[in-house]
Amino acid sequence: MGAVAEVATVEKFKAISPAEFFFRNKEIAGFQNPARALYQTIRELVENALDATDAHGILPNVKVMIDQDPSRPMFYTITVEDNGIGIPPQYVPRAFGQLLFSSKYVLRQTRGTFGLGAKMAVLYGQITTGKPVEVVSSTINSNRIYIFRILIDVKTNKPIILHQESVRKNNGWHGTIVKVTIEGDWSRAKSRIYEYIRRTAIIAPYAEILFKDPEGNYLIFKRSITMLPKPPRVTKYHPHGIDLEVLKSLVQETKATTLLEFLKTEFSSVGEATAKAFLKFANLPLDKDPKHLTRQEIEYLARMLREFKFKNPKGTHLSPLGKEIIIAGLKSILKPEFVTAISRRPSAYQGHAFIVEVGIAYGGAIPYSESPILLRFANKIPLLYDEKSDVSWKVLTERINWSAYGISFPAPLAVLVHICSTKIPYKGAGKESIAEVPQIESEVELAVREAARELRSYIIKKRKEEELARKAVNIAKYIPDVARSLTKLAFDLKVGKSLIDYELLTQALLKGLNRRLKDYIIKSLDEVVVSIE
Amino acid sequence: MSGVSSEIDVKARLRAAEILRERFKTLINQILKGENPTLIIPKRTLSNTIYDEKRKLLLLGSDTLERSFYDVREAKKFMQTVLMASLIYEALINNEYPTIRDLYYRGKHSIRFRDFKGRIKEENTWDEQRESDSVIRDIEVFTNLLREEMLILSKEKGKVVGNMRIRSGDDVIDLSKMGHGAYAIEPTPDLIEFIDVDAEFVLVVEKDAVFQQLHRAGFWRKYKAILITSAGQPDRATRRFVRRLNDELKLPIYILTDADPYGWYIYSVFRIGSITLSYESERLATPEAKFLGVSMVDIYGHKKLRKKPYLNEAERRNYVIKAKPTDIKRAKELMSYKWFQTPRWRIELEIFLSKKSKLEIEALTSKGLKFLMDTYIPGKIQTKDWIG
Repeated sequence: MGAVAEVATVEKFKAISPAEFFFRNKEIAGFQNPARALYQTIRELVENALDATDAHGILPNVKVMIDQDPSRPMFYTITVEDNGIGIPPQYVPRAFGQLLFSSKYVLRQTRGTFGLGAKMAVLYGQITTGKPVEVVSSTINSNRIYIFRILIDVKTNKPIILHQESVRKNNGWHGTIVKVTIEGDWSRAKSRIYEYIRRTAIIAPYAEILFKDPEGNYLIFKRSITMLPKPPRVTKYHPHGIDLEVLKSLVQETKATTLLEFLKTEFSSVGEATAKAFLKFANLPLDKDPKHLTRQEIEYLARMLREFKFKNPKGTHLSPLGKEIIIAGLKSILKPEFVTAISRRPSAYQGHAFIVEVGIAYGGAIPYSESPILLRFANKIPLLYDEKSDVSWKVLTERINWSAYGISFPAPLAVLVHICSTKIPYKGAGKESIAEVPQIESEVELAVREAARELRSYIIKKRKEEELARKAVNIAKYIPDVARSLTKLAFDLKVGKSLIDYELLTQALLKGLNRRLKDYIIKSLDEVVVSIE
Repeated sequence: MSGVSSEIDVKARLRAAEILRERFKTLINQILKGENPTLIIPKRTLSNTIYDEKRKLLLLGSDTLERSFYDVREAKKFMQTVLMASLIYEALINNEYPTIRDLYYRGKHSIRFRDFKGRIKEENTWDEQRESDSVIRDIEVFTNLLREEMLILSKEKGKVVGNMRIRSGDDVIDLSKMGHGAYAIEPTPDLIEFIDVDAEFVLVVEKDAVFQQLHRAGFWRKYKAILITSAGQPDRATRRFVRRLNDELKLPIYILTDADPYGWYIYSVFRIGSITLSYESERLATPEAKFLGVSMVDIYGHKKLRKKPYLNEAERRNYVIKAKPTDIKRAKELMSYKWFQTPRWRIELEIFLSKKSKLEIEALTSKGLKFLMDTYIPGKIQTKDWIG
């Protein structure tokens, strides 16, 4: 059962719980009906694909294909291919054929929402269609490509390998191709899936995404930036962020032989001085072996850890997108006339570090709507459902007075909110909306205000420019009539012609106007006057 | 063209054209020097209308407004003003007599332009005649030329008959030989030449119908009068004509209107000028004009003034009409005008406001045309029973 070290993977794998439970409770994992299952399968596979690439410094190329079985229209085969680090062949069976084979006791910001990943899709597929998952994978340094067909033994939660082979690799390819067949409902999932792909393209503009739907339509999102977010790093637990279960396993697995050592090595934000101060506070001996703690003592320790005032976690292990990537994503997908982004400094709630990032896009191709278009992301995952109960929706509609920022609805306004954390405080089991944690709410509000102030400056500047342009046009359009009238008024009866030239007067009027406008120049009257009839 | 009047005409044209050209030349010079072309125009507003107590005239004050082309709020009006000026100038040098309606149509065209967002839009130089009429008035005050002097015509309204011969154009017209009709006072009364006249006074009646009755009954022949009607609010030509009769022929002017605030205001327009056209007063108003009637005192009498009423109780019951709310409102406005704040007018307005009744001149003809023609009018003139 122990952790297995491996160069290519950072994860420490562990098998914990049976598959049956999850199939009976598939709504927990988001597989409650064929439409939702199709959406959830795409989501899990795409997120794995991105985690296998951007977290490891690789610019992602992701292909997503959905094919419908012509003889059994309810059956859909989903193929997702990435150019990631690949999975070592010895882990493939368990990575796809054993539920909760995961890295539970390592704390790191990843996309996976349930720790179930693709395995739930495999299980759902095999039960609804009887078809195994097909996995093709090769790691970067390997010279072979491994091909597997795997089922899950539901009773024992163990992988059943139906087929395994390997071929020689001679093109340097690395990555993973996963193909599952499930019972789905494309027509009902279609709009959500498209929205999911589109939002993924917004949050990962450094990825190239190809999507083929079962109707044969292709959608390609080109890479618009070659910069990757800083990869997340493994971190230790903050004393305020643990529960009893976690503490028990930390005690079980630590190599420390004294409580002082245990605190210093297993927790973040705890150094020698802090550890000593805490043990004094908790009235615990410095040199006690943590392995000798009784159940009651562990419970006591957990309570004390929550009560003592530790420094907040630093959040340096988190992986925010950064201003440039958010801007690139909003620009390439929404095609706005103005875009800005704010990446806040790390903050913490209940011992969990988090970072809030906000992007605002305005005008251009964004449609007008009665409230801001909210694009929510948690750890780079688009959140599509339960928008109205999300903390960001509350901030946008209740806390921000948009008219103070020069916006009156309907307006072409989109607001992106990205929250990254080692623990996202989801609201309810659906994991589609984020709870109103005061610290997060306040950070979202500050970020939105900061971005909105930039938007306001832009709107004010634009209005001034428009005002000037409007003014220029509203004078320039009369120049031909004024020049012609004055030319007529200078007609001399004795000479039999006008004493002033119309063109000369026109040019002089335009020159005088341009000089007064300064920042706005009309090069030629033809720009303004179309005809005079 | 030939003859005396044509010469008058040509002279008037040349003079007006010259003034227009010179006044607008300053704008061209400003433009060529890179300055903001600016029209400085006396303000035609109530606040800039001054009642000159000495001269008893309603005059334009000294406030001016600046209409600059590069001022976005004034640009359109500026364009309209120079456009209208050029139309008037062209008409002058082309020997035309445009009406204000003609000028409106001549200048109305549409400008198609791209707005700041690149959308094509369309705008008319002016939409309603009200707009073009307004810039004509601006040009009048800017150049100090009345529209009549610029040979712009308007609808004829005023009529005249009497023992008098005039020259208009190339024709000599005998105003005593108009049959049942009358001579329509032309829109350019300054081009009329008075040849000879045999009259002792001028009677101006507000109502055309009363004018016709007096004319047919031979009033002007019997009493040696020039009989004029303004047919309601007097136009500029009628006012200018009356002024010239008083100025040049030294004829006293008597004005006869309905006994109501509207009639009284018509009298004051003849005498001191109008608020909206105060800039014309110096040439159009006749400060000597006298209000002959019908006054409230004529109807009700007045003890302190020792005046007996011209109507008895039964006649008042038959002829007097109840005043409408708008009449009351207008009377109160008149009371706020300086030139109605004389003791005699105050009596009139007070009686009107207390009785809340009015009388039309026609009512006096109902009492008998003979009464109006042979008793009321000559009696009042003889006894100097007027408000002056």
